[in-house]
Amino acid sequence: MHLHEYQAKMVLQEHNIPIPDFVVVSDIAEAENVLRSLKLSNAVLKVQVHAGGRGKAGGIKMAKSPNEILDSIRTLLGMKIVNAQTGKEGVVANQVMISSTVNIEKEYYLAITIDRHIGQAVLIASQEGGMDIEEVAARSPEKIKTLPIPLNGHFRNYQLIEILKFMGWSDELAEQGKAIIKNLTEAFFHCDALLLEINPLVLSREGQLIALDAKLTIDDNALFRQSQLAEWDDPTQLNPFEARAKEFDLAYIALEGNIGCMVNGAGLAMATMDIIQHYGGKPANFLDVGGGASEEKIAEGFKILLSDPKVEAILVNIFGGIMNCVTLAGGIISATSDSTVHVPVVIRMEGTNVETGRKLLADSALDIIIANDLAEAAEKAVAAVRRKK
Amino acid sequence: MAILIDKNTRVITQGITGKAGRFHTEQCVAYGSCFVGGVTPGKGGQTILELPVFDSVAEAKKATNCDATMIFVPPPFAAEAIIEAEASAIRLIVCITEGIPVQDMLEVSYIMRNSKTSRLIGPNCPGIITPGQCKIGIMPGYIHKKGNVGVVSRSGTLTYEAVWQTTSSGLGQSSCVGIGGDPLNGTNYVDVLELFEKDPQTEAILLIGEIGGDAEEQAAEWIKKNCSKPIAAFVAGTTAPVGKRMGHAGAIISGNQGTAQSKIKALKAAGVVVTESPAEMGEAVLEAIKTRKK
Repeated sequence: MHLHEYQAKMVLQEHNIPIPDFVVVSDIAEAENVLRSLKLSNAVLKVQVHAGGRGKAGGIKMAKSPNEILDSIRTLLGMKIVNAQTGKEGVVANQVMISSTVNIEKEYYLAITIDRHIGQAVLIASQEGGMDIEEVAARSPEKIKTLPIPLNGHFRNYQLIEILKFMGWSDELAEQGKAIIKNLTEAFFHCDALLLEINPLVLSREGQLIALDAKLTIDDNALFRQSQLAEWDDPTQLNPFEARAKEFDLAYIALEGNIGCMVNGAGLAMATMDIIQHYGGKPANFLDVGGGASEEKIAEGFKILLSDPKVEAILVNIFGGIMNCVTLAGGIISATSDSTVHVPVVIRMEGTNVETGRKLLADSALDIIIANDLAEAAEKAVAAVRRKK
Repeated sequence: MAILIDKNTRVITQGITGKAGRFHTEQCVAYGSCFVGGVTPGKGGQTILELPVFDSVAEAKKATNCDATMIFVPPPFAAEAIIEAEASAIRLIVCITEGIPVQDMLEVSYIMRNSKTSRLIGPNCPGIITPGQCKIGIMPGYIHKKGNVGVVSRSGTLTYEAVWQTTSSGLGQSSCVGIGGDPLNGTNYVDVLELFEKDPQTEAILLIGEIGGDAEEQAAEWIKKNCSKPIAAFVAGTTAPVGKRMGHAGAIISGNQGTAQSKIKALKAAGVVVTESPAEMGEAVLEAIKTRKK
């Protein structure tokens, strides 16, 4: 689960990591109240969206007077950020952060994530902050230090000394840096994070290390024990179809194409997208109904596809294992009983109870194209879209 | 021969009294696997499916001399169940449970890396099967056929698809191992490839990969240096967008790392026959065998 910058900063603040003062507003009246009570003369305004690259997209503004602040907020509220991370549809900024300005002396990078290669959490540190860390890694890997964090969640002293030296922090700055690294580590484990990143961590002209921007991703699998963070979920940042799928615990990702897919299992779902492309079509989505989906989940998944105006044909590919083909057939029949099917539907099923499942579909009044294997299913779906045109 | 499990493997189920644990134990027994008991803390002394239930893995091992376990314990407690099985030196630990928090897996990873007695398969995997002898997992048994292709995969239903194709093409399988889709898991591709390389029944190998991480690239590196057997592969996720989570937590592409293209390139460079169509995985194995014979 992704969090907003302001939420990530609240977590940092809870763990005693210095951040610039901020207020988040979601309408102009609120912003006017804030300005009256805080008497701000300048500020940084930042859209709060679940996407990076906000600066380049025009989502961050500097303002030097109360009027400029309000004007900027007017521009930023409701702004749609569209870039490679968000896809064509973009994400809308419903909130803007009003943040105090910091005089920047130098920018650093600090992050903690899980390194699957070594099976450990690692700290990633660099003196090159404020830019895309992947670019730094590609250009000058020697400028990045990666250190594995011991299983007990605490760096050993010699490791801390190594990082401080690498970052060029000595004396008073070393004390600040050490505290930030310890607190960042604690915060990472405390909130079941997959990624906790401060970029940039800045040294102010006054000699203080401050987290100027932060990114926090929480492990979805751990939300059962992170109830406070789970409440911070913001479904407005999801594509509406993704939000609806999430409600029914379906794994759905919107894509650019026009062939809607419903599949059981993530690997097979990706393979189904791949084969559609292999035959010259374009998948409209990734939809994994899961290994043991019920009739209701199948029906909901199918309805999501039916309601998507982009979808010009539907391909259902189910390899029944735990879930059997009768459940699939039942789900589709139930979904179509209260929604009209206006696009061709190709169904390929195999596995447990396949014969009964096929019979159920054949006996229903539904106009369905049956395919016997994966290749045939993809070919028929691609052909169905072409015929419509 | 086959790998890791055969008709003599003695299996218990951790979480046997839960709905899924009970159902799949029943299915495995029906397939012909030798299950000898189950574990659910607090339910020791009961009998389920004519199998004795124990309070702990240690008690189960003492009474049944089991050497493998199938774990269906719910996610909040599954890491603990794996650690308990390792502590009792169970040789093969197959964890089916999906949704274990990554941070719980950090400790499991550490313990399994240093274990001298146990191997973990999974978590979040369909399990392992040696057709005709033993099934420890949730895969539909009937799609398998005894044969000579070793199958290793990170996916569940895509593995069934691959197995079905190798069965339909008449080849059959020696063993099939689903190593699981999580970012941190026990057994990896290289571990399984080493076992297939040494197994006389396995004449060819089918590797099913997907986007995320660099496990396929590592496998390619190993294959280049060590593998004498024909290998075919498919990598799912060529069409996946950058940075999105495709169901499996492990299937995240960041930057250019972990893309299907990078994996396909590495595998091809190692002499693997890589098919771009998931409908041609069976044919790819046939082609790999044919090419190698020339």
